[in-house]
Amino acid sequence: MPVMFINDQPVDTGEHRTVLQVALANGFYVPHFCWHPELSIVGNCRVCVVEQEGRGVGIACNMPVAEGLRIQTESEPVRAQRKAMLQFILLNHPVDCGICDKAGECTLQDYHYAYNGAPALSHEPKLHSTKFFPLSERIILDNERCILCSRCVRFTREISKSNVLGMEQRGDGMRVRPVEDRTLDDDPYSDNVIDLCPVGALLSRSFQYQARVWYLEPTASVCPGCARGCTVQLWHRRHEWRLKGLDGSHNERILRVTPLENPRVNGAWICNKGRDLGALFGRPRAGQALLKGRPVLLAEAIDAARRLVRGAGRRVALVSSWGSNEELRAFRNALADRFTSFVKADHRPGEGEVVEDDLLIRADKNPNTHAAQALFGNAPADIPDDTELVLVWGEGADFSTLPRGAKIVHLGAWLQPENGYADVFIPISIQTERHGHYTSFEGVVSAFEPCQRRPEGVIDAETLFPLLAAPPGSDT
Amino acid sequence: MGARGDGGVKKVVDRRRRYWNEPKLGLWERFYLFEVLRGLSITGGVFLRNMTRWMTGKKGALTAYYPEEVRSDYARHNRGKHVLTQRPDGRPQCIACNLCATVCPARVIEIEAGFDPDDPAHPKYPERFVIDYARCIFCGFCVEVCPEDAIRMVPTVPGLPVPDRRPGMWLGKEELLNWQPASDPAKPYPPKAKAVEPPPPGSRLVQGEER
Ligand code: SF4
Ligand code: SF4
Ligand code: SF4
Ligand code: SF4
Repeated sequence: MPVMFINDQPVDTGEHRTVLQVALANGFYVPHFCWHPELSIVGNCRVCVVEQEGRGVGIACNMPVAEGLRIQTESEPVRAQRKAMLQFILLNHPVDCGICDKAGECTLQDYHYAYNGAPALSHEPKLHSTKFFPLSERIILDNERCILCSRCVRFTREISKSNVLGMEQRGDGMRVRPVEDRTLDDDPYSDNVIDLCPVGALLSRSFQYQARVWYLEPTASVCPGCARGCTVQLWHRRHEWRLKGLDGSHNERILRVTPLENPRVNGAWICNKGRDLGALFGRPRAGQALLKGRPVLLAEAIDAARRLVRGAGRRVALVSSWGSNEELRAFRNALADRFTSFVKADHRPGEGEVVEDDLLIRADKNPNTHAAQALFGNAPADIPDDTELVLVWGEGADFSTLPRGAKIVHLGAWLQPENGYADVFIPISIQTERHGHYTSFEGVVSAFEPCQRRPEGVIDAETLFPLLAAPPGSDT
Repeated sequence: MGARGDGGVKKVVDRRRRYWNEPKLGLWERFYLFEVLRGLSITGGVFLRNMTRWMTGKKGALTAYYPEEVRSDYARHNRGKHVLTQRPDGRPQCIACNLCATVCPARVIEIEAGFDPDDPAHPKYPERFVIDYARCIFCGFCVEVCPEDAIRMVPTVPGLPVPDRRPGMWLGKEELLNWQPASDPAKPYPPKAKAVEPPPPGSRLVQGEER
């Protein structure tokens, strides 16, 4: 394997083809705007310059590795070039970091402090451009901040393949625009360009001005939007920055969702549905146990359910494909011998939703069907008319198709009219309130962590199932 | 003890701190009782004198009966209350950048930002801006950090305390926006910027030319 030298240290180039990859893999940070590991190389930002000893400076992202190559990443000429390049990039940049949602995670800010740190050398007034160009229902483009790295353009060409974005004009007037007759609304992966953009040029409308990014922290989670089970980060307000005087519900909200890079599942991307998990988990919650619509204490509802579970007749359970691996196992261990169990699809493709494609999106819109079917089989639900009890766990069951005479025990998390229709309704927790794992359709198990408080009166399904198996009257 | 080799002798160490101006107590002071009586007569004398003055309507002690009475003689450099400065059209100068909220060591500033797409020069503005005077330590960091000179402190104090600490001691934008830009000739305020259209191909639209 070829060996080269970076800052006089010998490094093994491994499988890498370019100097930038070797440097990053070996812990030598080389700044870069336009280069991205998943995209093609264009080499237009020119800040990744390094010095090849004896041959002067050149861009590292496009410099092939060679045996015995000697590279300096922080030498005087390199730093001088980077400084000049940053002066150039900032020529027309508005530097309105104070109102820029990227500030705090903006690489232009970071590199400015690392390599430039000087006020503008140019005395020319800055050129102004469109501040808020609506790219789509979800994204606005600030042309003044764009540094023309073309990451967003390459993303729509190479990854999402929607070919929506392009560059028009040249020089000072160069802008990112949708190419004619196409719109970014048609790209189900469009929001990835917001993360890809190294500056604050592409802005999410739903996150705009919601919070400065240093007030937020991510919690690792799994997107339940489809069977792919993309790993995501749910961003919510840090504990030490909780609001005390203003609207407290802001503290509990998921303010944005970003991909959690995972080469085994989703790579560096997620689809737009995953970006809207904040709305999915922000739906009104059910927090009250009900007996035929009458509010009761949780213990009372559990006791009523226990009596039904011990009844003599035929019992059927519709198992949730949104239950975590732990919950599904708890159900099997505690209750499976009392029920004929079928796996239920809690969610089906919505209106206008992309059903399936060859990048990430899967037709099964539930996160854990794979694990549920491994435990309870994949037979379609077949509920005989003489069934005495149906246990409905989770959303998506049509109560009108259940046998007329059957009692219904419903375990649900959301405020829905069906809750009052069930004989026993027990409120259970949602994914963001507990630990757990989902198994993707490929069999990859991913973990999710809690980031929201479980409301009063709500119980974890994993705790509930052993309680339901106990005889009536025992402790809850 | 002996095993540690200190010979079994216990040393009493006087750990009291010694002061340079430690009083020398004579026999009279050590007798205690007369000195206590002397001290009592001093405080009692001051109390009775102030009391007589107050009862006869003369000026007594310098205590102000806050909050009914507000001192008129705050030092010029006292900094007891924040004001949010405003542009001549009355809108707050603040761009809701949250730097003051971030730097505040007591973390008492909370800002809810709003978006005004019609004003590209100031698209972000504070929808709500609140400060908790129960916790503010009046350090002035917020004034120092503000990039827009949008928050300042003035010598007066807000009309606090209030019977209900929360939300009573939170002051909002309405109370803080009482600064008059007309009285501050030092600072010129540009008029509200017009929306900038994308420049037509090949043209150079420069801020200086636009005015
Ligand atoms: S893109 Fe970066 S440098 Fe530019 S205004 Fe935003 S935070 Fe500041
Ligand atoms: S919008 Fe962002 S990602 Fe796209 S070219 Fe401009 S700076 Fe690069
Ligand atoms: S004066 Fe100090 S403590 Fe008070 S609001 Fe400003 S920064 Fe916070
Ligand atoms: S630092 Fe100034 S401009 Fe920024 S939020 Fe505070 S008062 Fe407003």
